[in-house]
Amino acid sequence: MKTKINSMTSRQRVLAALSREPVDRTPVCNPTSVATVELMDLADASFPEANRQPELMARLAATGYTELEFDTIMPVFTIIQESSALGCKIQWEQKDNWPTVKMREPIYEDVDDINIPSDLLTHQDTKCVLDAIKILKKEYGDEVAVIGKTMGPWSLGYHGFGVESFLLMSLDDPDKTMQCLDKLKKVTIDFGVAQIEAGADALTLPDHATGDLVSGDYYRRYLRDLHTEFVDRIPIPLILHICGRTVDRMEYIAQTGMSAFHYDSKNHPQESIDITQDRISLVGNINNPETLFARGPEEVRQEVYKNLDAGVQLVGPECAIPLQTAVENLMEIPKAVRDWHKERVAQN
Amino acid sequence: MGQIVDIGRRIELVPMDSYFHDITIALYQQQPAIGPSFLVHTYSRIEDASQRIQFVVDAMQVLGGMTLTELGLLRFSCGVDHQLACKRVFLEACKSDPTQLVESRPNTIVDKKSNRNVTVLSRGNGRYQVTVDGDETGKERRVSAITGGLIKLGDMIAADEKNSDQVVFSCGRSHDALVGLLLVRAPNVRAVVREHQMTASRGVLSSPSQQE
Repeated sequence: MKTKINSMTSRQRVLAALSREPVDRTPVCNPTSVATVELMDLADASFPEANRQPELMARLAATGYTELEFDTIMPVFTIIQESSALGCKIQWEQKDNWPTVKMREPIYEDVDDINIPSDLLTHQDTKCVLDAIKILKKEYGDEVAVIGKTMGPWSLGYHGFGVESFLLMSLDDPDKTMQCLDKLKKVTIDFGVAQIEAGADALTLPDHATGDLVSGDYYRRYLRDLHTEFVDRIPIPLILHICGRTVDRMEYIAQTGMSAFHYDSKNHPQESIDITQDRISLVGNINNPETLFARGPEEVRQEVYKNLDAGVQLVGPECAIPLQTAVENLMEIPKAVRDWHKERVAQN
Repeated sequence: MGQIVDIGRRIELVPMDSYFHDITIALYQQQPAIGPSFLVHTYSRIEDASQRIQFVVDAMQVLGGMTLTELGLLRFSCGVDHQLACKRVFLEACKSDPTQLVESRPNTIVDKKSNRNVTVLSRGNGRYQVTVDGDETGKERRVSAITGGLIKLGDMIAADEKNSDQVVFSCGRSHDALVGLLLVRAPNVRAVVREHQMTASRGVLSSPSQQE
């Protein structure tokens, strides 16, 4: 059952959709970044500074709502804020590129190397996120959903050990891998809870057990129970994010109790809905490199409609969008959502 | 609430302008009643950003032989968009040193690969002939490479089988300045493509499993 269109605030709409409750229309949601170089100019808040200074971070993030008309504001553009606080070496890059962890210079070799620093939440790059959320909450109140982000232990393992070493360890020594995940989960929980206290309405939890490197069975063995634990220990709607083809693990993901799964365009909306059914909301899955970046509004619209036709609960880009994405393509997402609903109303 | 208005379809982007505070400059295509037109735009509100945009607009008129409409849009006088060529004009205009006088490119260059002079001669009705000086050895191959470059960069058309050294604009009108500009890059289109791919690949976030 749907309520009258535009009778809800953006925040109400998003939170209802995350709980699979009735909404006035499908919310447009970005669990990951929608920052572009043009929006950086508009907000006078550019990378890399907008990843390290809370005022700039908040200002750039707000354009997702004020300019693009999404129902969410998501200030945590990168996936490296916690890793920076853990001591990983960061390549901060320039305005037109993403900061990355220098994984060729790993900080961990063994489980004993993992020590969570006492300044995890006061380090410049984690505090920046907390302060940005506070600024946004003060500015936008209950009008729009502010989404934070806390990285899962699998992703942190990649950052700390390097991708290859971490994956080899998971093959050679499952027990040690579990110990690493168990130690690193404190970062996920502590940073997540701190963002709740700062005012976040929901959190994205990226944990890159991606379809290209890790099987569905791997997900079940290593992560399903951990992710279930996060649902208990981080008391807020959680949006799990995993890139790539993930239909082989959607059943397990649906069992975790997470509110939503942010899914990739490599998964067809209908097949994904068929698996997850009403156990977890889906967010996505407008393709980034081929559609949002390289094509035009017509193609964006087609993908939005495909998601809505399948019953996907929240629509948005599949992942952090390329920084050179055209603004008109992003603005087409909410336009298409509104039009789809108007058409359905007219049909009925 | 929002400040963004519909200014057309963005067709090209310079993400960081090295000549002015790393601002982003974009080329938008519009379709007003007078035909396809182009807008150079930045969202930056840095003081003097508008002067920087004006420089690029002026440079595009010189380098591409484009004209300015009353609404401040750029267009080719033939009324055809020549979109690919216009994108090249925009990129070259953004690369032009603002401390130097921008001049249209000559119709002759030195081809570094063959160390010969290459000239493009207008044959009327939008048709251009590529000539290469020096002895005959390898000449045909260079002419072919350069006509191919003009076709790829400027969306020009091979004239006909009898005149394999000639290319033509679809509009049938002369664009001497534009051809001069395209000629500079025509001998090495691969480098242009490589540069474009490198620029486009920046800013695409890959998952940690794909990072180094």
